[in-house]
Amino acid sequence: MGLSIIWYLKEFCRGTWIKTFLFAKTAPLVDPPYFRGYPTLTGKECTHCLSCMMICPTPGAIEVLCEGETWAPKIFEGHCIRCGLCIEACPEDVLDAGRVLETQARDGTSLSVRYQVAVNPDTCVRCGNCVVACPVNKEADPQLSATGTSANDEVIMRIHRGNLWVFHDEKCTGCKTCEGVCPTGSIRIARVAEGRQGAEE
Amino acid sequence: MTGMLQKMKNAVRSRSIHVTYVDTGSCNGCDIEVLACLSPRYDLEQYGIYVHNNPREADVLLVLGCCTPQWEDKLKGLWEKIPEPKVAIAIGNCPLSGCVFNREGSYVNPPASKHIPIAASVPGCPPRPTEIIRAILSLAPTVFKDYEEKRE
Ligand code: SF4
Ligand code: SF4
Ligand code: SF4
Ligand code: SF4
Repeated sequence: MGLSIIWYLKEFCRGTWIKTFLFAKTAPLVDPPYFRGYPTLTGKECTHCLSCMMICPTPGAIEVLCEGETWAPKIFEGHCIRCGLCIEACPEDVLDAGRVLETQARDGTSLSVRYQVAVNPDTCVRCGNCVVACPVNKEADPQLSATGTSANDEVIMRIHRGNLWVFHDEKCTGCKTCEGVCPTGSIRIARVAEGRQGAEE
Repeated sequence: MTGMLQKMKNAVRSRSIHVTYVDTGSCNGCDIEVLACLSPRYDLEQYGIYVHNNPREADVLLVLGCCTPQWEDKLKGLWEKIPEPKVAIAIGNCPLSGCVFNREGSYVNPPASKHIPIAASVPGCPPRPTEIIRAILSLAPTVFKDYEEKRE
């Protein structure tokens, strides 16, 4: 018992112990380099393609806003969950956070997005509204008739022999104008996002 | 002129911050990040932050979660139990926007600042332990500094 007290006193009188006890510094609080924070602008030019907004899984997290002459995405903290999908989806590398862009370049990964146009034939009344409203159709066939029939094969969908046919859903840009004008809610646009590796576009 | 006693109080308060946390309906992601602050890797106590499970012992309240209706009055009660000086920090997206729970028809009532005064927020889903510690460390001493003098 007595010995152990002496042992302790001896131990506490050691210079290193006193120094550590009085002057030990707390390690600084640093985020590790792999930490994926909020996406920040890299300074590259945004083309207003809205891929970032379309891939974002969170409502109200990102908006592409006009700043004078140029467009720039804005991240809303408190909504954004820092998933990093907008960084991967942007074709212009406008956004970056952590090591997302670096990893993407190293692994050669990309996100490819396409849209599926699905029509419910049981409720569709073949009015042709969607065909006429679609901006891609208008570009492909300026002479599109008001009933949605067309002699042109390049349109996304058209009324053909009294039915609505979807020919080229790979051309759809996902604007969902057709969903808005359909009186019966029969047409639905689904976004299909695929992660790819090694595919050069 | 700041009195000697006040100076001492400031020094002690900036090195001994007592924290309690309440989860008002989160997914537990932020809770785990708050607990990670206690782990050896971040070791919250080396910064002089102590975690209590009793609001009466705390100065700082960390609010997590999106404030479900059952929590509305209880959060207020809990806030009143904390002795002055006190401060509340919202941790995560939930107390700010409701995050994933803020959907049509869900029983949540964010933001938390509707129910109690929130002094700062640490957004993120979830925020990193470093961000949480940094928020507590930067906020608490400034809020508690010269508290007695400011009150007069
Ligand atoms: S990081 Fe994720 S949640 Fe945040 S804006 Fe980008 S896509 Fe949306
Ligand atoms: S930030 Fe990228 S993805 Fe978003 S609109 Fe601009 S260029 Fe398109
Ligand atoms: S989403 Fe837009 S581009 Fe695609 S089919 Fe509908 S209207 Fe046409
Ligand atoms: S607008 Fe709707 S109802 Fe009319 S043709 Fe298109 S899908 Fe059918």
